[in-house]
Amino acid sequence: MKRGAKKVEEKSLRQMKFEDKMKNAIYAVVSILIFLFIWQFGTRAGTRLGNLIPQPTEVFAGFFDSFIYPIGPYTLPTHILWSFSRVFVGYTIAAVIGIVLGIMMGWSRMVEAIFRPLYEMIRPIPPIAWIPISIVWFGIGEGSKYFIIFLGAFTSLTMNAYAGAKAVDSTLAGAAKMLGASKMQVFRYIVLPSAVPNIFVGLQIALSSSWGVVLAAEMIRSSEGLGWVIISGQSTNNVTQIIIGIITVGIVGFICAVVMRGVEAKLCAWNERGR
Amino acid sequence: MHKKKKATKYFLISVSSIFVFLFAWWFLTAVLRLSKPITLPDPVTVVKTFIYKLNHTAPDGATLIANIGSSVQIALSGYLLAVVIGIPLGLLMSWYKPVDRLVRPLFDLLRPVPGIAWIPLMIVLLGIGLISKAMVIFLTALVPCITNAYAGIKQTKDVHLWVAQTFGSSNWQMFTTIAIPTSLPFIMTGLRVALGASWGAIVAAELLASTKGLGFMIQQARGIYRPDIILAGMIAIGIIGAIMTFLLGILEKRVVKGVNR
Repeated sequence: MKRGAKKVEEKSLRQMKFEDKMKNAIYAVVSILIFLFIWQFGTRAGTRLGNLIPQPTEVFAGFFDSFIYPIGPYTLPTHILWSFSRVFVGYTIAAVIGIVLGIMMGWSRMVEAIFRPLYEMIRPIPPIAWIPISIVWFGIGEGSKYFIIFLGAFTSLTMNAYAGAKAVDSTLAGAAKMLGASKMQVFRYIVLPSAVPNIFVGLQIALSSSWGVVLAAEMIRSSEGLGWVIISGQSTNNVTQIIIGIITVGIVGFICAVVMRGVEAKLCAWNERGR
Repeated sequence: MHKKKKATKYFLISVSSIFVFLFAWWFLTAVLRLSKPITLPDPVTVVKTFIYKLNHTAPDGATLIANIGSSVQIALSGYLLAVVIGIPLGLLMSWYKPVDRLVRPLFDLLRPVPGIAWIPLMIVLLGIGLISKAMVIFLTALVPCITNAYAGIKQTKDVHLWVAQTFGSSNWQMFTTIAIPTSLPFIMTGLRVALGASWGAIVAAELLASTKGLGFMIQQARGIYRPDIILAGMIAIGIIGAIMTFLLGILEKRVVKGVNR
């Protein structure tokens, strides 16, 4: 009797969850359809807005066309690769330097005393404000873009690794020391693992901010990449191309975030955030 | 006593670290002349330029003060609009399920697009004046406002709600007297993140299309090879950003009470 009651309850719970999901999906479809309808209706031929903004159907057709017909020098996937490779180089360098520096700052008070003030000096400057000076220093080629993306990712990576290493449970470290662990062992088995969740937060924030920064860098100076797609749409008054660029940027950014979250869930399975 | 001594020691190391950095910069550029003044000027020149720019309009047509004023004005107008719309929207989305279901899909579409990507579209639609830039800032700051208000409401403890229900409070009363106060620390975090993002976005918008402002100033200085003005502008950007964050921190301490942070 009791068991039966429990079973019914479980089933209804599952049913409730399913209904909830169905409702979510229906509402999502409705709201996106309303949005598309307003867009389509607001930009119909002859209106003032219609002269400025293309209709959604045009944009989607253009979006799929651009996989085959190039925008400027390359097709859309090649532009994505250009932007992506720039982010990859700058981001990787920033990840290595930022995480090492952050952990060292959290681990050793000496390193903290030396680098913290210098770090605090560059932190309030948004990475985008570095674009003009980096063009002066590194020219208009790839070097300046790597440098800006590096800066865009560096600050949040360092900050989070630092916070992670700083927030080590002192009871754990004390216990390990009492049981005779060497300084290196405490570092390897206690400080490092407890900093990992924070490092992942940093990696995620840094990825999305460097994805924004590469756009700014490409808009200001480049001849390929998604930022260029958007900005050249502006200079040729091709709004369809601008919107295609924006949509692509959103999709790629979204995929990056999902992949990052998947990696985190795999690597930090023991941590609450990873679940 | 021993601890105090140690703290002083590390403080002195920090101070000397900055001095060593500035001295090395000055020594390499002013004495050894390893770099040309058109790539990296020495720190003394930068400071002199900074002071000179405070009340001289050359070469970009506005004093540093005027540039700062214009940037801050645009950044704050977009930011405040995002706060006024984003925070209530996030709160409502989190508390009322149908609002969440309707708005979330659109918000999820908007969220992964960096604010900077909107700049050209806004310029085409609204020109290069205040409104287009304020819209870019609005879209940039909206995302952290909504996400943090949303996450803040989700922190509400069920026990508190049960107590309120037991004493017969309405849904609206629970929302305003329990859920919103619970979410305040998160809202403040959202405000801080959004402010930083807005300040970065205004610089980007001014770099791309503007006739005044700090971003415009450093972009112009690049065109005429005046890295001292670029660096002075960057220092101004950093200082203003730090001041705004600091002021928000004071507000946060006043508003959020009883939370150990």
